[in-house]
Amino acid sequence: MAEDKKEKPLLEVEGLKQYFKINKRHTIKAVEDVSFAIYPGETFALVGESGSGKSTIARSIIRLYKPTAGTIRFLDMDISSRISRRENHLLCTQMQMIFQNPTASLNPRKRIETSIGEGLDIHHSDWSKNRRREKIMEMLIKVGLSSEHAACYPYQLSGGQRQRAGIARAMILQPKLILADECISALDVSIQAQIVNVMKAIQQETQTAYLFIAHDLSMVNYISDRIGVLHRGHLLETGTTKELFSHPIHPYTKSLLSAIPTLNPAEGKKRMSVSYDYSTSGINYDEGEYRLVGGSHMVKCTENEFKRWC
Amino acid sequence: MDRICSKEKKASIAVYVPAESDFVLKNSLVTAWPGDAGEAVLEGCFPAQSVWAEVGKRLIRKRSAVLGLLLIVLLCLMAVFGPEMNRYTYSEQNLNRKNLAPGVQILEKTRIINEEETPEIKYWFGSDGFGRDIWTRTWVGTRISLMIALSAAMINMVIGISYGMISGYFGGRTDMLMQRFLEIVHGIPRLVVITLLLLVMRPGMMTIILALVLTEWMGMSRVVRAEVLRVKEQEFILASRTLGAGSIRIMVREILPNSLGPILTQVMLSVPAAIFAEAFLSFAGLGIPAPQCSLGSLIFDGFNCFTLYPYQIIPPAAVMVMLMLGFYLTADALREVLSLKR
Amino acid sequence: MSRDQEILLNIADLDLTFPTAFGPLHAVRGVNIELIRGQALAVVGESGSGKTVTMKAVAGILPPNTKINRGSITFTYSNQEGLQKSTDLLSKGKRWMRRHINGKRIAMVFQDPVSSLNPTMSIGRQLTEGMIWHHKASKKEAWNRAIDLLEEVGIEDAPKWMKCYPHQLSGGMCQRVAIAIALSCQPELLICDEPTTALDVSIQEKMMDLIRRLQRKRGISVIYITHDLGAVARAADMIYVMYAGKIVEKGMTREVLYDPRHPYTWGLLLSMPDLNCENQRLYSIPGSPPTLLQESQGDAFSPRNRYAMIVDDKAEPPMFAITKTHAAATWLLDARAPKVEMPDELKKRLEGMKKEAGDSGRG
Repeated sequence: MAEDKKEKPLLEVEGLKQYFKINKRHTIKAVEDVSFAIYPGETFALVGESGSGKSTIARSIIRLYKPTAGTIRFLDMDISSRISRRENHLLCTQMQMIFQNPTASLNPRKRIETSIGEGLDIHHSDWSKNRRREKIMEMLIKVGLSSEHAACYPYQLSGGQRQRAGIARAMILQPKLILADECISALDVSIQAQIVNVMKAIQQETQTAYLFIAHDLSMVNYISDRIGVLHRGHLLETGTTKELFSHPIHPYTKSLLSAIPTLNPAEGKKRMSVSYDYSTSGINYDEGEYRLVGGSHMVKCTENEFKRWC
Repeated sequence: MDRICSKEKKASIAVYVPAESDFVLKNSLVTAWPGDAGEAVLEGCFPAQSVWAEVGKRLIRKRSAVLGLLLIVLLCLMAVFGPEMNRYTYSEQNLNRKNLAPGVQILEKTRIINEEETPEIKYWFGSDGFGRDIWTRTWVGTRISLMIALSAAMINMVIGISYGMISGYFGGRTDMLMQRFLEIVHGIPRLVVITLLLLVMRPGMMTIILALVLTEWMGMSRVVRAEVLRVKEQEFILASRTLGAGSIRIMVREILPNSLGPILTQVMLSVPAAIFAEAFLSFAGLGIPAPQCSLGSLIFDGFNCFTLYPYQIIPPAAVMVMLMLGFYLTADALREVLSLKR
Repeated sequence: MSRDQEILLNIADLDLTFPTAFGPLHAVRGVNIELIRGQALAVVGESGSGKTVTMKAVAGILPPNTKINRGSITFTYSNQEGLQKSTDLLSKGKRWMRRHINGKRIAMVFQDPVSSLNPTMSIGRQLTEGMIWHHKASKKEAWNRAIDLLEEVGIEDAPKWMKCYPHQLSGGMCQRVAIAIALSCQPELLICDEPTTALDVSIQEKMMDLIRRLQRKRGISVIYITHDLGAVARAADMIYVMYAGKIVEKGMTREVLYDPRHPYTWGLLLSMPDLNCENQRLYSIPGSPPTLLQESQGDAFSPRNRYAMIVDDKAEPPMFAITKTHAAATWLLDARAPKVEMPDELKKRLEGMKKEAGDSGRG
């Protein structure tokens, strides 16, 4: 999908490094030289286990951390360094986030309506009460809640409903990019499907791009156009969903794919899972370079590894 | 129907027996499965009730809270209207009638007091060494003590919240500097502060309030800072920030409402603490100057002639005990109610 | 299921209520579960369906304000003299449960491995604690047994880890330790409450494999509590699907997964993403689970059910037996109901699954 996109990428992350200095001797290298781009209207998924740095990337993008190295460009402005007030305003309206824990991401002392309307209050404080209310109701319906939920407090809603409210809050300013940080992993499987569907439906309508962060490849298959596999801060493999699922190159990707649970009680008994252990695999991520497999499919490895795997 | 497990049959006693006509699908199955997701179903939505209404409801259900609140309300009312209930003022002296025992009709009959002494003028709680009415003085004293304590608590709250908020929210170097400053201030004993204050200011209510504020705000700011540190890391703060909310907005609209519980409790606890501190100052002779009085100075006066006229110390001491009890009970109940998780 | 198989645990008509600020919460509404010794059973349901509460009742760790309306939990175990004994666990006090059941005969593994371990105690001490208390083992003996246990759950270099504290271990390691602790007193029944939800996908499978291996090796029975059918599809012998405090479908795993009868089970199966299918949109069960505060008349699933009938709003469906082991609580199985097929989408998927199973059987 990426190559036939003539348009400019919405978000470009280039050579992003994010180190955290614990003390004089210890530095945690959370993100190590990660580059990717997100085009308007598409869904890019970052997949990896906990501690792989996927949430850190999201937080660097929303400027919670200052990158150690590398640039992040959004709508043609460099947002990895200091930005002006106007740029910040633009950033806040054009890029939003959906959080992992629907309970913690809503202020427990505020009605749903107030939480959802916060973006309007900040950026459209000139709106009339009626217009604000109408917009909030429109968003509620869009995410599958009803107007009766507006007056509720978060504790009155179920987990899925809270996450819908979280989506409504992020969507109300009609951003071009949404960072969804593990936004379904705290929910029941049956509710996850609901949320994914709502997100897809909204995307079709508004052409919002998603950066979808997950550790579970099975849902990623449904929602994303392109996938990046992240491990220990390194982006190991990127490609379209099809490329990655049908033709995984990196052993880590293979192990992730094999770990997807299946419903079939019989098949599973035969299926062997591919196990992968970085320390014994003999692969050194630091030595790898991005190599093109074909199409938009890239893998990070050394020349030898590349020959061996392909 | 004989396929039904027998155990299940027993469980469903007196149930509706379905008729043939009931076995009709409600929805037509024309729409293709997989069906549309996300129809809104408002089942299980509790009646929307504000958090504070809920807290109030729970508070009323607690017996200790009701007792405490009753005490506070009663004593406040007495502090307002008590002094007007007879014809004496708090400073009016009558040297002919000093140290009179309480003269209430019922008490006379119990022969606690001398009958020869009972003149037509009666003091409900008796009179003190200057012939002043103890009833009036007690309630005026309560009024002043409450005013001092409440204003000190309020000013403490404002200072404590701002200081703690700023310190906790910005963190880092700001926090470090502010906390070190706080520790230094905390290290200065209260008596020293007050004695120094009295050197430059006239003794009186303002001086005492200032003294209490200068020495009591640290507790509040610490509570607030701890709360801010707890709430600050939660995701909804991050959500607000990504929406472009400024620091002040986040502090006031997001953090404050979520830390109100402990703050409120701390305020409730700081009132009796202030009353007690004021009493202590008065007792040490650093309090309200005569002829004004506070509960502390009244107790001090009563204490001076305790061996001769023991009844003089009872009214102010009793009021003070009840006042402190009321505030402590309420604060305690409040803490319990507010800390309840859903 | 032949009759001579011994029933280890029999939950009969269990009915529990919690008083809450919003009124009584009728969390469990007449649940029947039978567990045969040596088998693994999975209770599957959305959060708030009462599955965890049911298992807490078995483990005797219900909150003190729980009201037990009806029912019994009969647990069959061998006592000190080696005799088989059946007891109604609900009739016993907490003290008795602690001495005779908790840890010793019924052990639990919780969802979050990191918080279920005590951060101030070393792994070794946490492991040996139970053995010393329940089996009066000496410290030395318990220590050696603990090392064996750690090796059994797949932790290499066990003596080194004995002195470590939970924060030094990764999530997967913590869960292994938690399992080791649960097994330390040789329980007859292991209850795993969402054992893999808090873990990464790559470790989830290893963890399920581990529990399954231990189950076979030690001949213990396992109850899985989960919201994810995929996680237990291969581990469980029996599946009980729970909805709104009731069992809506039960059966052998193959019966439930290959031939589901309840519309809720259909929905659950369909909402699982399937790698083989190209569909752009996932099916999801509309709405959200009921809160159990209200008493519902009729079938609790009816508002979310696309196949709801008029009768569903009027009367509660009983369990209709399909085979000896398979039963579902839906009026669709009544003789008078219109013939309703499971959705085509699901049918295709199940056929695919069966075919795969057949292939692997031959190969």
